[in-house]
Amino acid sequence: MKVVLKLRPSNYWRIGEHESWFTDMAKEGLHLRKVGSIFVHFIKEKPKETRYRIDAIHNKEITFEQQQMYAESDWSFVTRYGMFSVFSSPVELNAPELHTDPEEQAYTLKALEKTIVNSALLATIITLILIGLIYFFLFVNSTPTLSFVEGEIIQPLPLFIIIYFTYSLISAAVGIRSLRNKLKEGNAIDHAAPWKRMRKVNLLISNVFIVLAIVTAAIPYIQLGMKETLEMPINDIDVPIVRLSDIEQSTEMVRKKDSMRGDIDRGNSYTYKWSIMAPTQYDAQEHGIVYGEEWKDASGVYSPSTYSKVYKIIFPSMSENLVDDLIEWHGMFEGKEKLLQLEHSSFDYLIIKEDDETKEIFAAKGKGVMYVRYHGYAEMDILLKNVAQQIRLIGE
Amino acid sequence: MEYNSGPMTEAMYYVLLALMNPSDRYRLMNVITEVSHGRVNMGPGTLYGVLVRIQKSGLITLSEDDGRRKKYTITNEGKEALQSEYNRLAALVNDGIILKEGDVDESSSKTETE
Repeated sequence: MKVVLKLRPSNYWRIGEHESWFTDMAKEGLHLRKVGSIFVHFIKEKPKETRYRIDAIHNKEITFEQQQMYAESDWSFVTRYGMFSVFSSPVELNAPELHTDPEEQAYTLKALEKTIVNSALLATIITLILIGLIYFFLFVNSTPTLSFVEGEIIQPLPLFIIIYFTYSLISAAVGIRSLRNKLKEGNAIDHAAPWKRMRKVNLLISNVFIVLAIVTAAIPYIQLGMKETLEMPINDIDVPIVRLSDIEQSTEMVRKKDSMRGDIDRGNSYTYKWSIMAPTQYDAQEHGIVYGEEWKDASGVYSPSTYSKVYKIIFPSMSENLVDDLIEWHGMFEGKEKLLQLEHSSFDYLIIKEDDETKEIFAAKGKGVMYVRYHGYAEMDILLKNVAQQIRLIGE
Repeated sequence: MEYNSGPMTEAMYYVLLALMNPSDRYRLMNVITEVSHGRVNMGPGTLYGVLVRIQKSGLITLSEDDGRRKKYTITNEGKEALQSEYNRLAALVNDGIILKEGDVDESSSKTETE
């Protein structure tokens, strides 16, 4: 006995389409055996002309009396799913139609409609509360755009599942209500309703959901897998990062070794990151030292450094918000009076801050957003020139 | 959904009518066909649904139940509901008498023309 599984349509309330689907499957030799929660089970046997009818049942269990009554009219019980029972009868027996009064049949769907409408309402309320909570957490978080761009928003998979579940319940409630209204108006169920389109649309929606669910579940792992930290080479690299040597322009400066993790000097390294909203991201830092030169406050040997964050975002419209969030994130809330917004032909949005030997630039150009913090004696103009050069590479 | 007065479905009306004489469900389908002069051939699904519904509403009761064979009888409440529905239908038919008068007018005007 060969069992063939077919994906179960989620719109189970479309009685006519299901009945004609089962009938057409029987013609191809696939006889309905069971409707599972994911698959419909068919048994492969000889093709046969069989009529199928789906009946909403009143009780939790189908009664012996009902089964017997139907059997006396040549309708055999096949299986049950939810509040529906499926009966079949070979065409040659010419069994009387199960339901001969659409208005009466509408009553059989009343209990089901009530259950589904209540569930749909409950699911909608839960979904709205959940969306409200996410919205709340997003904006309690002081840097929502930064979290969004870096892909650190709450794992979207559970939300997808809940939204899909709610969508299914609402569709079911609307579908059952519409079916009941048609029956109440005296329109009988079309037992030969075309089912191919219904199945295609249904499978398409299910597949889109499955793909979305897999992708959203996989994103954190993709992000982790694509993250890579490398040691910053001394020479030029093909990465849009402002280099310390380009700012300092000193032949005396050498690299200042920092803490090592593995083989990588963390103080002179760059990390590539990926997210949907910003497929190219870099974090970079460099430390140099100029022997023979001292800090002006005589605190030791002059040792300039840079720290940068680079984003190539998908939607340039997010760039200003991202810049504002970077300002917030890098602790600028305490020195906001020193922030200076400048008009500059090389940038769409530019904010700088200069505090003795620490200079910071927050810049946006097209799709490119950069934050550079430099600690040293080079002029702001030199720093700006370098940022402009690099941001042009990713801004277009 | 239980019955709460108002217009009955055709199926409910005929089941109650058929049960004016107590009957078991085996015979009920045939009785309904007889009572409706062959116009109504009620399906088992419809019949089962109506029986469950009107039993819950107290319009019929089980006069015999030995587990396998059940005999249904209409209750006084059922009779009242049936009578009330009959009166409603009779009033509808009565109101429709103008259709018949229309026929008469038409035929008489035809005769006059001839």
